[in-house]
Amino acid sequence: MVLQLFKKIKKGSGTIVIPILFSVVIFTVWELLVFLLEIPEYLLPPPSTIFNELGTNFSILLGHMAMTMLAAVSGYLLANGIGFCAGVIFAHSKTIEKGIYPYAIALKTTPVIAMAPLLVLWFGTDLESKIATAALICFFPIIVNSVKGLTSVDRDSLDLFKSYSASKWQIFIKLRLRTSLPYVFSALKISTGLSVVGAVVGEFVGANVGIGYLILVSSYHLETATMFAAIMMSALGGVTFFTIVSLIEKKVIFWQRALETG
Amino acid sequence: MSSIIEVQDLSKYYGKHLVYEKLNFDVKEGEFLSIIGPSGCGKTTLLKILGGLIEHSSGNISINGQPVKNALKARKLGFVFQNPVLLPWRISSSNIELPLEIQGINNSPKLSDEMLKIVGLEGFENYYPGELSGGMQQRVAIARALAFKPLILMMDEPFGALDEITRNHMNLELLRIWKEEKASISTVIFVTHSIPEAVFLSDRILVLSAGPAKIEEIVDIDLPRPRKTEMKHSKRYLEFMEHLRKIIGED
Repeated sequence: MVLQLFKKIKKGSGTIVIPILFSVVIFTVWELLVFLLEIPEYLLPPPSTIFNELGTNFSILLGHMAMTMLAAVSGYLLANGIGFCAGVIFAHSKTIEKGIYPYAIALKTTPVIAMAPLLVLWFGTDLESKIATAALICFFPIIVNSVKGLTSVDRDSLDLFKSYSASKWQIFIKLRLRTSLPYVFSALKISTGLSVVGAVVGEFVGANVGIGYLILVSSYHLETATMFAAIMMSALGGVTFFTIVSLIEKKVIFWQRALETG
Repeated sequence: MSSIIEVQDLSKYYGKHLVYEKLNFDVKEGEFLSIIGPSGCGKTTLLKILGGLIEHSSGNISINGQPVKNALKARKLGFVFQNPVLLPWRISSSNIELPLEIQGINNSPKLSDEMLKIVGLEGFENYYPGELSGGMQQRVAIARALAFKPLILMMDEPFGALDEITRNHMNLELLRIWKEEKASISTVIFVTHSIPEAVFLSDRILVLSAGPAKIEEIVDIDLPRPRKTEMKHSKRYLEFMEHLRKIIGED
């Protein structure tokens, strides 16, 4: 039985089976520790209570998560759209890049949490301010990576296109754009998680719905199990988002896989 | 034979660094000319200058009496680099059609099949570069260079990255393709750092000295054609090897 399980893990289903086994072990230890050390529930609720909370209030939690993810995904799309266009401009003009880049770095080093109150003041306590915080945090990776990707074309490929008397536009469309994709996607993957952070931070500052709001409110009432459930839901949202983008990446950059196996 | 490329007083500087000063030579129509020399002497740079990919500093180059830029625009030149430089997201046939696509030329759908046949890759039109071996990738690159039906094929150490067996095989294949009527190549300019390869392939070998490079000698290789692998053991072949080793200063 154990041997069969082991064989299954080795066969490659391990990417799913091993993490599940680990979580089972961790939750069991956690449950036991809470019980044995008599830790009060408002400090650390046992997993059973958290799962119970998840089960009974699932639709409410899902509603909050949907609002958070709506803000996160909207901000993500907005930032990556604008960021990529900015990257294209930067890659073509050194002057513009030199002029704006220092500010992009300044923006990157400013914590989103420091900007959030200002954004809530400007955009209100509704969805817009959360989209803004999510967008702000996603902005930097895409700019840096799209510039890097668009300028990473090798000498030989440029010579090849030059030997066909190709125009700048043709080089951009047929060469640079595709070459930049692995870099662009690595930014797109990083910022899936960041966008959720941005949205939750926005909700902490001023909101009446969303995972951030739920965490804040349940902390006031010492409803720690609800907090844990909300945290888990936000993690679930981030992981799902990341997985979807990874799947899209595999479809779009199909040749990288061909290269690895070939 | 008449000259297809004439080079007069060609000089090239990179900033203040002199690469060559006043090179004079010509490339004859229909010949296989190799350029050889110690590494770093600027063989590749010379090829790229001849092909109009790098600007020269002074002097004159003409192809069929015209400036290089005109020959480039008139699609007289085909290039093969050391790396195949295939676009990994395109299948073989679409890689081969790239030059025509860029220049907006309507090509017959059979063109890429025809070119693949010439380079001996029939049936591989739907393969991505990642699915092909190094030698096969370089064949696709040659097929792509042939798509224009160029007059002059310019090759920069095209087989340098291949293992010896594949390389020897590709040398024979290249000679076959050169004479293939459908390929319509008249002249080949071939940069290499391998003396055996240069002797085996060429009609003439242009030997560059270490930088700042001068033309050390232009060696006529009067081995009979078609070239056969057995010739590598002939006395004449070995004499050429010996002679070239001496000029290049290789032990």
